[in-house]
Amino acid sequence: MKKPLFGAFTAPHDDAHHLGPMQKVETPMHHFGPGEEVDFVIVGVGSAGGVLLQRLARAGFRVIGFDAGPFWDTERDWVSDESGSHKLYWNDLRITGGSEPITLGENNSGKGVGGGSVHWAGFTPRFHPSDFSVYTDTGLGADWPISYEDLKPYYEMMETEIPVSGPAYYPWGDPHGYMYGSHPIGGVASALIKGCTKLGIPVVAGGPVAITAGSFDNRPHCIYRGFCLQGCKVGAKQSTLVSHVPDAIRHGAEVRANCMVARINMGKDGHATGVTYFDEQMHEQEQRAKAIIVSGYAIETPRLLLNSACTGFEQGLANSSGMVGKYLMVQAGNVILGRFDEPVRMYKAPPANALTEEFYETDPHRDFVRGFAIQTVGPLPIAFAKQMMSAKGAWGWGLRQLMMDYNHWAAFGFLGEILPWEDNRVGLAEEKDQYGLPVAKVTFGLHDNDRKLIKFGVAKTMEVMSAAGAEEVVQEARYAHLVGGARMGNDPRTSVVDKFGRSHDIPNLFVCDGSILPTQGSANPGLTIQALAARTADYIIDRGMSVVDRSKTFVGVPPIRYDLAPAGIAGRGMPRIKSRTPRTKIGLGGLAPGGAGLK
Amino acid sequence: MSVEDRREAREKANGTFTSEDQETRRRETLPVDPYTGEELAPRPQPGYYPGYDTLSQQAYWDEATRNVVLDRVHNVPPIRFFTGDEIPFMQAVVDCIIPQDDRTKDKRIPVLNYVDRRLYINEIDGYRFESMPPDQEAFRLGIRGIEAIAQHMYQRRFIDLGRHEQETVLKTLHDGKPPAGDDIWKRMSVHHFWMLLVQDCAEAYYAHPWAWDEIGFGGPAYPRGYMRLEHGQPEPWEAEEVRYAWEPPRDSPSSEYEPLIGGTGDHSVQTPGQSGTH
Repeated sequence: MKKPLFGAFTAPHDDAHHLGPMQKVETPMHHFGPGEEVDFVIVGVGSAGGVLLQRLARAGFRVIGFDAGPFWDTERDWVSDESGSHKLYWNDLRITGGSEPITLGENNSGKGVGGGSVHWAGFTPRFHPSDFSVYTDTGLGADWPISYEDLKPYYEMMETEIPVSGPAYYPWGDPHGYMYGSHPIGGVASALIKGCTKLGIPVVAGGPVAITAGSFDNRPHCIYRGFCLQGCKVGAKQSTLVSHVPDAIRHGAEVRANCMVARINMGKDGHATGVTYFDEQMHEQEQRAKAIIVSGYAIETPRLLLNSACTGFEQGLANSSGMVGKYLMVQAGNVILGRFDEPVRMYKAPPANALTEEFYETDPHRDFVRGFAIQTVGPLPIAFAKQMMSAKGAWGWGLRQLMMDYNHWAAFGFLGEILPWEDNRVGLAEEKDQYGLPVAKVTFGLHDNDRKLIKFGVAKTMEVMSAAGAEEVVQEARYAHLVGGARMGNDPRTSVVDKFGRSHDIPNLFVCDGSILPTQGSANPGLTIQALAARTADYIIDRGMSVVDRSKTFVGVPPIRYDLAPAGIAGRGMPRIKSRTPRTKIGLGGLAPGGAGLK
Repeated sequence: MSVEDRREAREKANGTFTSEDQETRRRETLPVDPYTGEELAPRPQPGYYPGYDTLSQQAYWDEATRNVVLDRVHNVPPIRFFTGDEIPFMQAVVDCIIPQDDRTKDKRIPVLNYVDRRLYINEIDGYRFESMPPDQEAFRLGIRGIEAIAQHMYQRRFIDLGRHEQETVLKTLHDGKPPAGDDIWKRMSVHHFWMLLVQDCAEAYYAHPWAWDEIGFGGPAYPRGYMRLEHGQPEPWEAEEVRYAWEPPRDSPSSEYEPLIGGTGDHSVQTPGQSGTH
């Protein structure tokens, strides 16, 4: 059989580490010696950690990224199979409770280099300007210590680096467009467009999504096979594994995979000195570092801070406020399923294929604040069977019969903003994991505003499904995504980290991942997490190692380092930003945005 | 000719009847043709995609995927977690949760083996509901609970009940109202045990390429991918749907769709092992 253009029917017979069918890790990875102190240790190489690792390495820092899971060779390790992809998720024990508990694992938690970005659907909407002032506007939730304008250049930057494919005009929030063209649509997106159009609801299709529509550097274009959530073997869907980690390694970063960080160690002077971790052979090791960045996501980040409690920090690190683990958020992610007379075959095309944010903002005519989005999803057979078990109470013969109609169903994902509440939190359980470390105990429940929002939004989504022509519409209750648990803020009494992710309590301890989000909007958080990571990186790079000195306060905005993007990025950042960004004189060579950049 | 006689005659004609299967056969129930009321004979491939065969496409799959799927088909793991009487007991439970009486014996998917495998190797979903013991303990408690309900309702062992009665016993768990075994249900949530049971069986069944053939799912699709995205069109190597009418066995308690307790849309009763979506 002739070899296809991308990929192969046989496994690669070389010693290379493959990241998709075209990309390989060519350079041998640098390994820091035992006892060698590095500049930065990043705990968790996921959406945020991957970007930080790449930026800090490119800027010349000595940096190690730890990940509890493997450094995937995607050609050998990943499969185009639902049940065979279990290993991509965080499967170690956690305890979940509360009145409406969160499901974890496959639904929202990754393990291995790339983290959750390995199995996200890849929807990449920006947050709206209103997200940054929810408390001021509504009296509920929280305000961010930064505004949309602070993050906007990083949104634009990451949309180029990921890259995001999407419509030329995106009408919601701060209206904008995408540099890379939209994707063709499948049956589910077709249904969403039809339903929305009938009801007069604006809708966009083909993005914004972190999937290449055309080939991009050494990543092939999408082949529309629908296995986005099982890890994109094609390499078309972005994970930091394929977009940023290779560049990080090329610039001297070390990825220490299968290494579980057990605790952050503190010195006598109130600075962190490094981390203790379990290596691949389960041996306890130490790694000294001048600064630590925790990027473990909303469950593992608080867990690590709490598990690092020591003399002087009895309540856990960075927790003088008592806020570590609190204000955990998920979005209501109910799946609305509709049966159509004609076949849909929803397993084709990316699940993230069309959406509307028409209901995103607070509407004073409703009895709740904030809003929701309606998006396409594309459950594969096992996921669909589980949804039907919940949505219709199906089992036995009923389940078998319903599943024979799998190809007649389409699924929409409702995505509703749940506000941050103090009692939704991550703590420690009595149970221990395989390393002997206390596991996370997650407590979650809905509040009045959340319930009203879900009720209204689910009904609206069902209405859209009916308008699309579905003869039967049902729904499954669930959540999507995870954020919060180490929120950022200006007030050390009510937040864990400052607006750049530095902990209020410990000058050389940073948190940078989804856990620092004060609110979450009804946009998928992946893009925002990566944008925040790029921003924190710019702050650190601008200040150099003086960043760990508490006495040197920082005022202002760090210069935006377009020149630190991975190789192969179109224009090295959005060309249209060029005119209003001053030429930077700081850093390696002081390259202009859009310039040739470092090789 | 009674329904039983007709079936026996048909099975003899099909060559699928063997005397040692009598005990099993007693409990099997077959789907019916809604127009004639006749039972439908077991087929090698139920579903609306006759002749569709995902495994025939394996040369177009990448090697890693091909190995995983073929291993699933050809190297069925032995039963290692369940022991002794638990094995026939769980087989009877699994046969109710995912009935396969409409499949010929040689084309039945080894659901119990994969449920067992997960428990044996402790492949958990990354979390446990506070209201639940570890999965292994949940299954052992569940067996005791189901037996207690059978004794309470029929004064007989679950394993000795007919299929319809067994389904009726299990339906009480689906409804969240087990009439017996209070000591068990104090130790774990009925809802979550029910969902754990159904999802484990469903995952084992719908992970199998024969189930993909049945429902017309494309199966592995790398590196070839798909070309026809809209209007539910099949790829050249997929099959068009050819529907036929069938109904679950008469009065089967599992043929009705009844919402779980709390109704649908209740975030307090989500399934363990929930897949990702957005």
